Amino acid sequence: MGKKNIVLTGATGFLGAFLLEGLLERGYRVIVLGRPAGETKLAERLTNLVRWLDIVPGDRLLPFEVDFAKQHLGLDEKKYAELCESTGKIIHCASDTSFAEHNRTRVEAANVNSLSSLLELAGDAHAEHFYYISTAYAAGVCQGLCRETPVGTARFTNVYEETKAKAEGMISQSCAACGIPLAILRPSIVYGHSRSGKSLRFNALYYCVKSLMYIRDIFAKDIAGGGERSGKWGFRRDADGAVYLPLAVWLPERGGINLIPVDYFVATTLAVLEAENSGGIYHITCDDPPDIPILINYAERFLGIRGIRAVWGAPAKKEAANPAEELFAKFIEQYRPYLSDRRVFDRSRIKRIAPNLSTPAFTYDIFERCMTYAIACDWGKMPGFPE
Amino acid sequence: MDKNTLVESMNADKEILETAKSCGHYAMCKIDFLGCGVCASGLEKHYVSFYPQGRMDLYAALAEGEIPVTRKCLEITEGCNLCGKCDYNCYFSSELRPSKVMKALKAHIADYLNNGGGIVDIPHDGLLVEIKKIVGEEWASNDPAILAAYHHDLCPHVEFHQPRYVVLPQSKEEIAALIRLLRVQGVNYVARGNGASSHGLAFSDGAVLDLSRMKTMDFDEKNWSVTVGPGVSAFEVQKAAQQRGYRVNTAEPAANVCANIMTSGLISTYAPSFGIGADNYIDAEFIGKDGEYFRLNELTAPNLFSFQNNLAEPEHLAICVSVTIKLHPRMSDEAGVLVPFDSLAKALDFSKECAARRIGLAIVILGREFISTFLAPTKGLATDVKEIFSLRLGMPYLVLLTGDTHALRSVRDMGHPLINQKLFKTLYLNIPKLKSSGWLDMLEGVSNDQLFSYLKLPQLPDLAEMALGSSSATLTRDIDPELRPFFTKLYAKPELTNLVWINTFRIYSSRYCRANPSVSLVFYLPIDNALIREIQEGFDAIAAKHRVKGEFGFITPLDCGKRCVFEYDFYFNHLDPEEKVRIQEAAREAGALLDDYDQKTGVIRQVRYLVNRGCCRTENLLYTTKG
Repeated sequence: MGKKNIVLTGATGFLGAFLLEGLLERGYRVIVLGRPAGETKLAERLTNLVRWLDIVPGDRLLPFEVDFAKQHLGLDEKKYAELCESTGKIIHCASDTSFAEHNRTRVEAANVNSLSSLLELAGDAHAEHFYYISTAYAAGVCQGLCRETPVGTARFTNVYEETKAKAEGMISQSCAACGIPLAILRPSIVYGHSRSGKSLRFNALYYCVKSLMYIRDIFAKDIAGGGERSGKWGFRRDADGAVYLPLAVWLPERGGINLIPVDYFVATTLAVLEAENSGGIYHITCDDPPDIPILINYAERFLGIRGIRAVWGAPAKKEAANPAEELFAKFIEQYRPYLSDRRVFDRSRIKRIAPNLSTPAFTYDIFERCMTYAIACDWGKMPGFPE
Repeated sequence: MDKNTLVESMNADKEILETAKSCGHYAMCKIDFLGCGVCASGLEKHYVSFYPQGRMDLYAALAEGEIPVTRKCLEITEGCNLCGKCDYNCYFSSELRPSKVMKALKAHIADYLNNGGGIVDIPHDGLLVEIKKIVGEEWASNDPAILAAYHHDLCPHVEFHQPRYVVLPQSKEEIAALIRLLRVQGVNYVARGNGASSHGLAFSDGAVLDLSRMKTMDFDEKNWSVTVGPGVSAFEVQKAAQQRGYRVNTAEPAANVCANIMTSGLISTYAPSFGIGADNYIDAEFIGKDGEYFRLNELTAPNLFSFQNNLAEPEHLAICVSVTIKLHPRMSDEAGVLVPFDSLAKALDFSKECAARRIGLAIVILGREFISTFLAPTKGLATDVKEIFSLRLGMPYLVLLTGDTHALRSVRDMGHPLINQKLFKTLYLNIPKLKSSGWLDMLEGVSNDQLFSYLKLPQLPDLAEMALGSSSATLTRDIDPELRPFFTKLYAKPELTNLVWINTFRIYSSRYCRANPSVSLVFYLPIDNALIREIQEGFDAIAAKHRVKGEFGFITPLDCGKRCVFEYDFYFNHLDPEEKVRIQEAAREAGALLDDYDQKTGVIRQVRYLVNRGCCRTENLLYTTKG
């Protein structure tokens, strides 16, 4: 292995996989640091992944099985020295995206505690540049304009945001101390490829649509069997075949959902990677995010349902939720802060680096493409789908 | 045909022989717990030998050349009418099909006889003649075909010997006469309540007194009690009590009430309310070694209330010939809930609090092994259930709590998400679907600050039922096709999915050794989370060292949460001699580990030291440090 390899973490995750594809397509040699998954070795995981990505990396993909919890990444002296020697730029994309407080220990371990061994590598290898894939929501609980500057709040919606912000601070400090240039990239909510519809993970937007589909199916089944219970709540199948689900989605206030396609994320990240003097913070977000009524419209069209409405404010006390509302509210609970988001992400720095790249509009065609792909691969549960 | 040819041909049926040797001796084939009836010849002849359990033993003993073909062998074989009831009962608890063994037994014996095989006569035995004078010609035997069913169980620690006699007395007078006769003749004896033994406890090289003909039950409702004979099983008395509107505190359905209370003490999930040891009975009558009777309430009766924390045989070892147990009221609004936890510590905290506040009637923490084995109707499905509850839903521990409306409201007020009766029924009937259903994916995706908070949705039980359906045919879809119609009808019965009924009759727990037999470590100790964790980790390490499966079984709080009873199980393959050696060593080390902790803490009481002291005073068992 010679110098000038890009070291990438999180390559088996959603963003990392597409980034890996982008890097390989540009001709980079990529060292992937990662773990086995149960009995499946990292090399085998990557073999499955490149098959799914439909790329032939040849000898430009180098798996390196490591343990982020250990010094020198758990490698023996020789192997570690070899890794240091081969390390050029480092892109840290690995992350635990759970929002759940009860997963705090796990999320902190992945997003914060594991940093020390990677930062040690960066220092020992005198890395050319460090790129940290953070999140736009490291901005925390705030209103209005969020600038491309270090995090200035200690209030976060969940443990994910909190640990990502903390990691930004630790990485900044460490890179400054070692004299390593650092770029922090903050994507918002990423969905699949805008042209192919491909995605590797199906949370966030997908989970909301999947929830609706699941609820639709429960009631469609009941309606087909006589619909006694559905009828009680006014649920029915209309003459055109659509399922009428009178379902109010309660959101605290009007706002947008900041969505970007994964191909836009990759393109901007590569632009930052390849730009001269690209240190600093970059928001990879959408200038004109869609709002909930638009998404409801897309979902209704796609799923053959009607009756869903967005309602802003707190639900009236006497208004009892019907079972569909109750269940949907629970399903989307963790995503609720992101569904009516009034934050505006400043993008002036990213626009300077990548002036020709703009977020594609989130059209129904893109929505349909992405959801059709999700259903075709059974939301990632299809046999053979990369884990 | 000679005996060797018979042995060879029976051995050639490998699958049949394996089935025959896999009977766990839990005697579930002796009680009509599914309402389909039991073996007619067993009911008529009473010997275990005439029940499917005995015929399985007979097949194995013949196949291994341990016994010859005798007249009783023919009678036992011919006694089976291949009605198939045993398949229902045995498949439910063990997933075995005894009727296949019965068919094979009949076929091999017929071949043997058709090919000129001889019948061995049993030599005259003077003592047997004397025994028969006491109990009647029919009710004593030294025929090896009879003895084979009383010779062993799957316990790996005991060196088993064939008894000389099996005797079935019908009254306490007959028992007294037998004791006097055997004592004079210097013949050892042991009494068995239901004719069965499952943990190597009731064996003798002399006479086995099978008391299963003594099935008297006298209810005294004015005094809230029922006096039962030594042949009455837990299921039988519970059923009779329920029909009168009461509940009794009993153990496993096939366990014999007298033997259970007197031998190692009754352990049930109702212990937080009804207690253990002497709490469980009002009075009992015994026959001592001298053949004399005594009742515990007599002023001159031996002190059976004491507990000694050692293995020494109690001074007053006696046969219990009747016990008067308490009748407890049943409330019309009783129901059950399952409260899920992601850690044992949290489950312990909850159970302790409920016991201390006297919330609920029955409380038990079930680990992933018991959850999966009890709920799944087959071994294959049990693996799925373990994955679903433990890994995917993140519920390795479930606390089953039953109680009235007030108790269940208190549990809800404590803020715990829970699986109520309706949701349990839906989940239970749909076990085979759960793994592949989108339902599970969706629940996995729900991620909140509080675990399992989706269980708090008031309308979730309705939605789950709408989504998954409530057909018992789903639950039985992986069951042996020949048996499926019966089980589909069975699981449609409301009681089979009723948490209160399930917990009271405990028929599902009969599955606990379905995959493999176990050596159980059962002991009493304080609900001290750190101590329990240390002991559990110690057991886990022993299991790993000896390459046997070790699993948390259950914990039930006792005495307002001051103590609990803990079961941990080591599982082993009884057909693998090398593994039997390893399990013995694992069990020895585990026992020593508990001894060490008792030395250090002075608060651990092992059930192995309780054997034949089961009727001791609860306080002596749990709290007395001086013997």
